[in-house]
Amino acid sequence: MSGIIKTGNSRGLPSARQGRVAAIWRAAKRHWFVYGGGIILPLILYTIFIGYPILKTLYLSLTEWNGLDPQVTMVGLNNYRTLLEDPIFKVSFINNVKWASLTLLFPVVAGLLFAVFLHSGKVYFASVFRSALFLPATMSLVAIGIMFALILNPIFGALNEGLRAIGLGFLTHDWLGDPDTALYTLLFVFGWFYTGLPLMLFHAGISEIPPELFEAAKIEGANGLQTFWYVTLPSLKPVTTVITMLTVITSLKAFDLVMVMTRGGPFNQTSVLGYFMYTESFWNYRFGYGAAISVVILLLSSVFAAIYLRNVAGESLYVS
Amino acid sequence: MFHEALSQRRISLSKLVYTFITITLLALWVFPLVLTIFTSVKTNAEMLLAGPLAIPQEPTLKAFARAWDVLNFNVLLGNSLLYAFAGTSLAIILALLPAYALSRFHIPGGGLIFVVLLTGMMLPQQTVVLPLYDVLRKLHLLDSKWGLIMVHGMYGLPLVLLILRGFMVGIPQELESAARIDGCSDVGVFRHVILPLVTPAVAVAFALNFINIWNEFFFALIFLNSAENLPITVGILKVTQDQYFSSWNLPAAALLMAQLPTVILYILAYRWITQGIYSGAVKG
Repeated sequence: MSGIIKTGNSRGLPSARQGRVAAIWRAAKRHWFVYGGGIILPLILYTIFIGYPILKTLYLSLTEWNGLDPQVTMVGLNNYRTLLEDPIFKVSFINNVKWASLTLLFPVVAGLLFAVFLHSGKVYFASVFRSALFLPATMSLVAIGIMFALILNPIFGALNEGLRAIGLGFLTHDWLGDPDTALYTLLFVFGWFYTGLPLMLFHAGISEIPPELFEAAKIEGANGLQTFWYVTLPSLKPVTTVITMLTVITSLKAFDLVMVMTRGGPFNQTSVLGYFMYTESFWNYRFGYGAAISVVILLLSSVFAAIYLRNVAGESLYVS
Repeated sequence: MFHEALSQRRISLSKLVYTFITITLLALWVFPLVLTIFTSVKTNAEMLLAGPLAIPQEPTLKAFARAWDVLNFNVLLGNSLLYAFAGTSLAIILALLPAYALSRFHIPGGGLIFVVLLTGMMLPQQTVVLPLYDVLRKLHLLDSKWGLIMVHGMYGLPLVLLILRGFMVGIPQELESAARIDGCSDVGVFRHVILPLVTPAVAVAFALNFINIWNEFFFALIFLNSAENLPITVGILKVTQDQYFSSWNLPAAALLMAQLPTVILYILAYRWITQGIYSGAVKG
């Protein structure tokens, strides 16, 4: 094969490497349509719209820049040093951690339980229930934020009104105005939005478990809980990994609800990294500082994204 | 014995009880939406007298008409439709060939290229927004509809690629071989074998990505400025200003109108959307 190729090394013997490059080149020429439109074009677009921006963000994080001025000053790691001492950064970071862990604890577990329950054949119209539970996940967080801002309003909101109506008036509260409850209120709203996604993914995962496994468990005399623990859960391990990673990344992206419902307040108690980055960049015009916050978000999410991608695209790495 | 016979032949009692419990749970779950519908059709007088929980006695659609005028809703609606439709179409056009290449050809480093292209899906928008802002400004695409469509197209590509590629892997090799024996080139195979077969996956990807762009907020907020370019998610923020928010029925009506198109799409394309969620997130 490689003998035909004209490009050889100085001694006239084609090296394996050059042979390989030439083989790729020939394949690319023969399949110009596939290589051009399917590999080269998307990679160019990727470089412009994704690759370059990521690198530029890394660079910007080492500078001081107001976003407009042609003057960009290199300041080394100063932005990161400032970050470490910034109390709002600390609050935002902790809030992101809370956001991820509480979302894993409530909506994701609720989604799993709903999925198992609705799959058990114990309920009529299970698919109708599933589609209704998933409905909030198809809404925008902006609309959901406005909706719950109305319901949670301390003056005319339905929640406090309802609490008074059932004799729990002492629980009425300015849910979003109190620094102690504001973040958890946001997380509750986010949970309402999010539950449908793990529900659907777990449901699909359960549907793929071979029915023989459940039958075998039944024959062995396993009860519902044992079946869940020894058959369902272990089979759902890959889906669970994917959902966990997805949830953490989604939590790091949190922005919309904060923007619509609290604007980070009261006293920055509901600020998250995504929102902190936004205010520093686009309100205070500290693009360099904003970029440093972005890099933190990037580093945090890339670990989880790597695990996620390995799960989702992993097998395809070996596909012929 | 008796119980078994009952459960096989007739309506099972335990199932009815469980169903009833689930209905109660579900009623609580959708209660915020019901409340919002109540609020949107109540006048302020009724809201003050009867409170937010009461069932509306004299429902009126006036708040919807007012919200439409206040928000210039026809413009927002047109823009959101344009972004969702054009952005999704662009993403699909861009993703079709990579999906074809990465599913049916031995591309050296193909696995790596696939993963690289997918990273766009996982990336928090904040990590690219500053340089993108600069790129768009240099291309004179800041505060422009085309600029946002291009961004949506690029950032929609990974999800569409994942769905389309997963589907194309499953197309039997024999069909392609047959076409090649008939003298089809790559272009021919793509046009006459792959494209017709991949339509269901395109529909799935379209529905899912349409909803994603419709609900997208951050990029639109940063890259757009003029009122005539805003999509609904950004334009609707106006109702959170005190003068509109305190009229209660207006923000409620506005958010219901903003979400109606995707709710309709969700009901119509329920199967596609749920299937797409799974193949777009887990199966690949």
